[in-house]
Amino acid sequence: MDILHWITSHPYQTAGLILPIAIPLILFQVLPLLVLLERRGAAFIQDRVGPSRAYIPLPGLRIRAFGMLYNATDLIKLLFKENFVPPFAYKSFYWLAPAIPVATGLLTPALLPWFSPILYQDGAGVSSLTGTLITTSSGLLLLFALGSLSVYGVVLGSWSSNSKFSLLGGMRASAMMISYEVSMGLSVLGLLLIVGSFNLTDIVEWQGHHTWGMFVQPIGFLLFLVSMFAECNRNPFDVAEGESEIVGGFHTEYAGVKFMMFMTGEYLHVLVASALLATLYAGGYELLPFPVPMLADTSGFVPFLTTVFRPESYLSLDTLWVKAHLGGVVAIMLGITAVLVFVFATLIAGRRRNYAQQDAQDRDMRLREYGIYCSAFTGLGVMLLLGAIACGLFMTTQPLVAAGTLSPQPIYPGWVNAVTAVLQFHIVIGKTLAFAWLFIWVRWTLPRFRYDQIMGLGWKVMLNIALVNLLITAIVAKAIGGGR
Amino acid sequence: MTKVVRRPDLTFWEKIYFVEIFKGLATTMGHAKNSLLHADHFKVINYPDVQPNLPRDYRARHRLMKRPDGSPRCVACFMCSTACPARCINIVAEESPDHHIEKRPASFEIDLLLCVFCGFCVEACPCDAIRMDTRQAVLAGDNRRDFVIDKTKLMDWEPKDYPLEDAQSQKAPGGTLHAQALEEFKSGSYH
Repeated sequence: MDILHWITSHPYQTAGLILPIAIPLILFQVLPLLVLLERRGAAFIQDRVGPSRAYIPLPGLRIRAFGMLYNATDLIKLLFKENFVPPFAYKSFYWLAPAIPVATGLLTPALLPWFSPILYQDGAGVSSLTGTLITTSSGLLLLFALGSLSVYGVVLGSWSSNSKFSLLGGMRASAMMISYEVSMGLSVLGLLLIVGSFNLTDIVEWQGHHTWGMFVQPIGFLLFLVSMFAECNRNPFDVAEGESEIVGGFHTEYAGVKFMMFMTGEYLHVLVASALLATLYAGGYELLPFPVPMLADTSGFVPFLTTVFRPESYLSLDTLWVKAHLGGVVAIMLGITAVLVFVFATLIAGRRRNYAQQDAQDRDMRLREYGIYCSAFTGLGVMLLLGAIACGLFMTTQPLVAAGTLSPQPIYPGWVNAVTAVLQFHIVIGKTLAFAWLFIWVRWTLPRFRYDQIMGLGWKVMLNIALVNLLITAIVAKAIGGGR
Repeated sequence: MTKVVRRPDLTFWEKIYFVEIFKGLATTMGHAKNSLLHADHFKVINYPDVQPNLPRDYRARHRLMKRPDGSPRCVACFMCSTACPARCINIVAEESPDHHIEKRPASFEIDLLLCVFCGFCVEACPCDAIRMDTRQAVLAGDNRRDFVIDKTKLMDWEPKDYPLEDAQSQKAPGGTLHAQALEEFKSGSYH
């Protein structure tokens, strides 16, 4: 009972304890979505149907869940495979290697801001719960350090396999990843010069108050994007594997769960890279690419959605907008979601009509299944729409002004902060999935580069463009900002 | 004489590769959009729930034609097994009880795992006893023995599954019914 009492009286501290576990777990929930997106996206790009065979058998019905069950079947298959270790492998490193990509992939979300800092009354003073799990002024450096650790997974896996195919794949992949880290670091420096901070929360807040990083640093954005493709070992930079030349590359000798961990690490890496792109260059948790004018006082511009109040660095009074109009913001977001759900239901209805014309053995079952999806998603959309209307009409917020603090910082009720945080988290996840789709889209469009082309692009082209970009940015920033 | 084939020179925009990437991305996105919005434009079928509509002359699994009394039309002449490049046809002949017919197959086995589906057996057959028009293109089995199909399996087909103009196969040349067929042909009732 004491614990329950502590939890109810210290909601923010409890949230601070739960979030480090919750955010990696939520990422694991997004991961199957990414795998499904890859499968379905590849199929649609190639004019195929995509995953449609795995199903849950019910009487007179087969629930396919849009191919989502393939994740479950993959998991079951890989878990029950023999945990084979080749007799010629270096055992310890062989076992260690698959864990490294997963570990780094799960650690990096701790450094990304998932929602804006929340201020709350803590006794007599005011404390803040930051959107990053680890609050540090060198967040980006730590992130790059963790990101470059993932090359160890490739190197150790390839070396300890004691196989020539593995070694070739691992060597060329590690050389490429290390080469592209140079241009990755240099391309992001331009943005850091403008923002003036390594703290990712600061970078996102700056974007909220000005504009998204991709508009400020378009060349830096493109260079960073290309470097991220190389870092993730994705097409057109997927030299780590190569079915036509070196079998599976660095994981040729891996099977079962250890292979699954390599694949999980790869997809986590894509997810984290997308989240990083969204954070650095697409405004992170800020919904709109530009600040909106305050309604109460049109002289200032504020980010569309924020909980933070920073008189020391940016415009004051910027909390008035969203805090007073949280209901409207929630209504807009729910309305957008409802429209997307309706569009999805319409697409399924179209698929259902298409199936009704086909001479399929399981036509009735398919029609029943798609009918269930249609009605379920229509119902969900109606509920979201009703929720949006209810939020727009009835959700109003009043700040609780904190007493006895250094500056008059408005403190909001817990549920306002929670709703804002949840909204912002979903914005980040949405942008992350959008960038993940870019990764998938490029993978199924471009052929892979030859190895010398990769090295030439990295050292002769991208490095030089990054340096020139950095130089010009520095000169312009000095001329405009005046040494700030 | 050597012929030099010059590759077309790349333009400046093609050389920097960047514009071409966006062209390619537009192409793939167009395909993705079509697949998402127009499901009926799929280039593939939902196999195996939807079976492919193969043409009638597609060389698929074999069948043995039958006489009106249900016996195989095959006269065990070994033409097909001689013509077979894969040597997948095994015939054991025996004497036919019908005095118009010399031989009939005691057993007729085709190993589909050896068969290359060339259709030479169909070409070689002098009495149109073997055909490959079953349209069963996909064969499945649990073991190798399942793919060796015998006389009963080869003759397990229904006339209604085949086009009506193919009904002449019901009255075979040769045998006691040959004279009857000739009579019908002369009187015009043969079809």
